[in-house]
Formats: sequence, structure tokens, C-alpha cells
Amino acid sequence: MMQDYLFFAGINILLAWSVYIILMSGSLSFANGGFMAVGAYASGLMTTRYGWDLWLAIPASAALAGLFGALISLPALRTRGVYLILVTIGVSFCMVVAIESTELLGGVQGLGGLVGTEPWHVGALVLAVGACLWLVSYTPLQRILDAVREDEHVAGALGVNATYVKVVTFGVGAALAAAAGALYGHYLIFIRPEHFNIMISLFMVLYVILGGVNNLWGAALGAALMTLVPEFIRVLAEWRPTVFGVLIVLLLLVRPEGILAFRTVTARAGKRIRKEGAP
Amino acid sequence: MNATLKIDAVSKRFGGITALDGVSFEVAHGELLGLIGPNGAGKSVLVNVVSGFYPATAGAITFDGRAMTHLPTHQFGRSGIARTFQNIRLFRRMSVLENVLVAFPEHVRSPFLSLLRSRRGAEIDRAMALLARMRLADKADLSAASLPYGEARRLEIARALATNPKLLLLDEPAAGMNDRETEELREDIAGLRADLDAIVLIEHNVEFLRGLADRLVVLDYGRKIAEGLPDDVLREPRVVEAYLGADDE
Ligand SMILES: Nc1ncnc2c1ncn2[C@@H]1O[C@H](COP(=O)(O)OP(=O)(O)OP(=O)(O)O)[C@@H](O)[C@H]1O
Ligand SMILES: [Mg+2]
Repeated sequence: MMQDYLFFAGINILLAWSVYIILMSGSLSFANGGFMAVGAYASGLMTTRYGWDLWLAIPASAALAGLFGALISLPALRTRGVYLILVTIGVSFCMVVAIESTELLGGVQGLGGLVGTEPWHVGALVLAVGACLWLVSYTPLQRILDAVREDEHVAGALGVNATYVKVVTFGVGAALAAAAGALYGHYLIFIRPEHFNIMISLFMVLYVILGGVNNLWGAALGAALMTLVPEFIRVLAEWRPTVFGVLIVLLLLVRPEGILAFRTVTARAGKRIRKEGAP
Repeated sequence: MNATLKIDAVSKRFGGITALDGVSFEVAHGELLGLIGPNGAGKSVLVNVVSGFYPATAGAITFDGRAMTHLPTHQFGRSGIARTFQNIRLFRRMSVLENVLVAFPEHVRSPFLSLLRSRRGAEIDRAMALLARMRLADKADLSAASLPYGEARRLEIARALATNPKLLLLDEPAAGMNDRETEELREDIAGLRADLDAIVLIEHNVEFLRGLADRLVVLDYGRKIAEGLPDDVLREPRVVEAYLGADDE
């Protein structure tokens, strides 16, 4: 059982990061449950129907979802703020309906026979993705993402192609959600459309908002807390949505930027300040 | 005239408001052009159009021989046009140093490749040199949001310089500064001329521009009403009238 909890916590951390990556360039995506479904179903088909190796199917389905995410973001990014959120919610709904009505994917009955994921696979991916995000947080890329997120028009005046940056982050976030979805599917053995409904997308976003929107640790903390705490306090499990809701409201009142609100400074002048001969 | 920037019959309308009405002038290589006019004359709108922030409703903009009119904003930045904002728009969540680092053109052009070829130490040195020029070196690690007005405006200039521009557009850089700060800024802007192909400087205070600007262009109600050497322009009856009519600041 413990293994299961850790597995789901790991999956949720990956999913929270998939939302966080898109948020790094300023867009809030409620479509990641849909991208997760693309990963689970695509890799499921590849392995069960076409006999692909799982370790080929996962990157392939992630790439497919990445492309799909980038394509969706092209028209979606033309709309701003609340409208973008609505578009991504729409994508989530459409995805579930599309799967339900596609026979090849098992429709409402679901798709079975997905095997091969071990919990440590998820742990390894969490470490790898976390390390990448941590390394990126000290690079020029991080600064440019921060600039696009804070004021994309000013970033544009500096020469940043903000649309391109946003489309790429959307694609990368979608690919990560899909990789998590593929690992998840091949652990569950049997997947159904409702595993990827709008609530899943909503939870991913809430992990990030709860944990903190400005750094990679917040998303991970939010996901881990919201997955594990209800498992250990059984009372909470039944009340999960309610507790979650109350927590979110409280937190937004007290700490609107999440539990871990800090932003990592990408570079410091430090000792150089004196060398430059300040007045 | 050997022009770097050509503004040809540029108009800009917002719904019913005509903010710019067929404005034409050129900025020569090596020139510092002062842009003046009463409140609401269209100076900032002109900077917004020339920096690609707003598309022109009509007319054409040519920069270094390149037709810019319909290009997206980032192409203006990459062509060598940099600007500051009348209502300061720093990245307030970043540090002073980061506000400069973020604008380096090699990373701005290919942000994802920056993962492979960032030279951190050298880049910080470069940014510190720009900050030192704007007298901000000792503020490098502070949050940009913590800077007072005058320093925030200087940081906007440092950030614009980090893009390695040919043309710098300054929208009221001395606004909110005291006399001493204004004089320092005037010296520093004069010192920038050697490194830039041209500067366009919006300023209400004509004394600031006298002796600094090579030529002046005067806007009023979205139209160009005068252009020429500062002393000549400031004597023209239409200019005197426009300024007396809207005597402010
Ligand atoms: N985004 C906009 N939408 C609608 N109207 C605008 C917009 N920007 C500017 N205007 C209008 O265009 C006119 C010119 O404004 P602009 O800001 O260029 O004046 P300005 O010469 O810079 O004045 P100031 O000296 O006060 O800065 C004003 O009437 C203003 O209300
Ligand atoms: Mg103005």
C-alpha cells in the first residue's frame, strides 16, 4: 500500500510540474488531464495493440502530446487570461468525450492490459525532471520565462518572441503530463476516460496554487501534501474535496502566492559590487 | 539627410481618437532628436508605434533601410530599437542585475539555446558595466521594485542598452527626478551618444533639451507643428502658443 501512495504522490508531483512548466511562461492550463490521457491511451495502444516496448511508447506518446499541446496553444494563446483558462477547460472536456466515443480506445468501457510501470520508475522521473527544473532556474532561460510571465509586451520590446516561448512551454508541459499519464496507465492496468476528467486537471492546478506558483518546490510540495496527507488521516480521505476547498480558500487569503512563495534569484553580483567601484 | 529612422505619414487612431495624424520626420545617423509637445500631443504613442508596441493605422516606418511597419514587436527589438517607458515597466519581481541580464540579445533571440551556451561570469561582468554606467552598480542585488523613481528610470535605460541597440527611444527619462538627478542624467545621456546610432528623447522640460538635442520635433494634437534646430523651433509662434495653451509642468 505504501508503495501505491508513493507512486501516486510521484505521479501527482509530475503532473503539478507539468502545470508549473506552462505557468512559467504565464499561462494557466486546465488541459493537462487531457494531455495525460493522450499519454496513457497512446502508450497503451502502442504497447497492447502494436507490441511496442514501453520505453519506446512513453517518449513517443509524450512527443505526440507535446505536439498536440503546442498546436492547441497556438489558437488558445491568442485569447488572454480567463478566456485561455476556458479554452483549456474545453480541451479537457473534449478529450474525455472523444475517448468515450472512440471504439479503438475502448470507449466508456476502457482500455486494459497496460503493464510495466514500477514505482521506482516514477521516482526516477521525479528526480530527473526536478533536477532539470532546478538547473534551469539559474539560467538565462529562466529569466526570459520570468519576463514573459511578468510583462510579455516589455519582453517583446526587448526582442523576445513571447508567442514562441509560450508555445514551447505548453508543448513541454503537455509532454510531461503525457509521460506521467503513460506511467500511470501502465501501473493501473486498466484505464477509463473518467481517470482523466476535468477534476484531475483541476487538482493539478490546485497542487501548484497551494504549494506555490513561483518555484519548482511549491508544486512538488502541494502535490505531495495533497496526495499523502489524506491517505494517512483516513477521515480526510472522504472529505478530500471539502478539505481541499477549505484549504485553498484559507491559503489564498493568508498566502496568495502559495506555501512556498519565494522566487529563486537567477544570478547575483555579490563581490563584484565593490569591484565596480560603487560611489 | 542620411537617415536611420524614417517615419512617413504615420497615423494612429484608437476608435474615435486620432492620436497621430500623418506624422513624418527622419532621424539622422548620430543624431539626438528631442521630441516635445504638450500633454496628450501623441509623443508616447509615437514611441509606441516606432518600437512596435502599437501597429500604425496608416503610414510607414523604415529603420536602417528595413520596412518595419507590419512586423511583430520582437522584430523591432531585434532590429536594434530599444526604449524606456514613461510609466516605468521594469520586471519588478526580478533583481536590478537580472533586469539587465534578461535583455542580452544572444539569449533573447534563442532562449532555449541559452541552456547550452550561457557564460555566466562574463555576462554578469557585462551587466555590471552597464549598471555602473547608469550609476546603479551598488544596487545590483536589490529588488527592482525597491528602487526609487529616478533609479528605476536609470535601470530602464540600462536594460535598453543591454539589447545592444542602434536607436534608443527615451520617454520622459527625467520625470520625477530632482534637479541634481536630472543634471546627472543629462550628462549620462550625452555620454551614451558615442555608443548609439541615434537617440530620440521625449521631454517636457525644454531647458533639459537645449544644448543636448541636435534638433527638435514638436507635436501638438497628433500633428507635427515644427521641426528644426532647438533655438529656432522654440521661437516659432506656433510652438510658443502650443506651450502657452497647455502650460503645465
Ligand atoms: N492605448 C490607448 N488607447 C486609447 N487612447 C490612447 C491610448 N494611448 C494614448 N491614447 C490617447 O492618445 C493621445 C496621445 O497620448 P500620448 O500618451 O501619446 O500623449 P503624450 O504626448 O505622451 O502626453 P504626455 O506628455 O502627457 O505623456 C491622448 O489623447 C491619449 O488619451
Ligand atoms: Mg507621454
